[in-house]
Amino acid sequence: MEKNHVLELIPEYLDGVLPVEIQKQVEEHLLKCPKCQKEMEEMKLLFNALDTEVVAVPSDRLKAKFEEALEAEKENMGQVVSLTSRKRSNWASNLLKVAASIALLVAAFQMGSLFQQQKVDENISVLKDETLQMKQTAMLSLMENQSASKRIQGVNYIDEFEHPDEAIIKALANRLLNDENDNVRLTAFEALSKFTSSETVKNVFIDALGQEKNPSIQIGIIEELVKIQEKKAIDPMKKLLDEEETQPFVKEQIKTGLPKII
Amino acid sequence: MRKFTILTLALAFVATLKAQNDYSKSLNGIEWVKIESKANINLRTYDANELLIKGNRRVETSEKAKGLRLVGEGGNDNTDVGFYVVQDGNTLIVKNLRKSEGAEIYLPKTQNVSVKSTWSGDIEIDGFTGEIEADAQLNGSIEIMDVNGPVTANTLNGDITVEFGTVKQDSPISIYSTNGAVDVTLPGNTPADLSLSSTNGDIYTNFELKREEKNGLKSVSGRKVNAAINNGGVNISLKSTNGNIYLRKQ
Repeated sequence: MEKNHVLELIPEYLDGVLPVEIQKQVEEHLLKCPKCQKEMEEMKLLFNALDTEVVAVPSDRLKAKFEEALEAEKENMGQVVSLTSRKRSNWASNLLKVAASIALLVAAFQMGSLFQQQKVDENISVLKDETLQMKQTAMLSLMENQSASKRIQGVNYIDEFEHPDEAIIKALANRLLNDENDNVRLTAFEALSKFTSSETVKNVFIDALGQEKNPSIQIGIIEELVKIQEKKAIDPMKKLLDEEETQPFVKEQIKTGLPKII
Repeated sequence: MRKFTILTLALAFVATLKAQNDYSKSLNGIEWVKIESKANINLRTYDANELLIKGNRRVETSEKAKGLRLVGEGGNDNTDVGFYVVQDGNTLIVKNLRKSEGAEIYLPKTQNVSVKSTWSGDIEIDGFTGEIEADAQLNGSIEIMDVNGPVTANTLNGDITVEFGTVKQDSPISIYSTNGAVDVTLPGNTPADLSLSSTNGDIYTNFELKREEKNGLKSVSGRKVNAAINNGGVNISLKSTNGNIYLRKQ
């Protein structure tokens, strides 16, 4: 007990409600422990302050005034109300009650359907997410199909995505750069040309321009790169211009396109 | 002396028969037949589940080449009809090694075929219901008649002519040419989403095209037409950079 402080026992000690034994122990501890002594002094001060505080009592005048007001109120309540008017008020209030309950019902129904709608919307958006995911998987796997027509079908799935992620763009780029079938490459180019603001797509077009042999695709890529004024395209375009096997109308396209890239 | 003449004639007959020997190979386990040739390729259907290459009757191995094998870019003649045939997984690769002699090739109707002409050979395909991929990389043209499956065709300078039977599959049809015309005939009731485009050529059709509308405005650009016929269906994309497009109703 000597080592343990008795802080929490002080209020009871001061009130004198502790058992005699503990009272003595606390007393003994208090003699040795200055910290507890200090605490007890403060507590005493507080207790004294509480004791000396005067409880505010309403004055007689206030009481009289209150009684007066009460009496007046009672008299008002006691007034006789005519039967008809009471009936009318009853009828009106009943109508009001009915109206209120209908309003409540309608409001509750509206709220319910609103929440339901929100929930359905949520479900739909989750479903949409899931179908998008499924579509992406279908798209990526179709693009690896042995049949060119199926690969084109896969590439055409791009219309389902407003904001295709990088995996889709990369898969399309892979088709444009590496597919052996000209039709697949051309379709992949058309799909990618909707996203020329992407840096990846720009770079893919520049790479494709350096290696593509199909003049239709060359023309398309040149058109797109000129449209976005891609300066990095100047070198591969000049190279194509120098190559003997480049088709004359492709060269023509480059000649009219080059000055437009400022 | 007469006996001798008959004998020589008989021998000569047998010899020519042997020279005209056709080459055939079973197609068990084969999904795709890929044919590559510099010369004309004529693809026909028949009932056997075999690849049949008809040797060209006019070609007779010259005296000097007798006893020697034809060696081509793609490989050696392993068929005695001037072709190199090899199986790669589920694909049968068929290469014509002669640079100027075309061939007639027979395959079952449902076979998926991919034909590539790498020089000036024309490609003719008739009566297939499987998938068809045709690519004339230089000067060859492509003609596909009475076809029911998905078609992917591409030429550089040659024209493409395709006549469809019933089109009911959902995989797209894609026909592109750089300098040639694209001429396609479809049954009038084909449900399809059409995309026709020509950069420097014109587009002609007798289909009633419902133009896609954007904010109530019809597209009037002559370069590209997107339209649905019979309420839309399979994607059909026809495109030529410098040639005309002809879409005919059957």
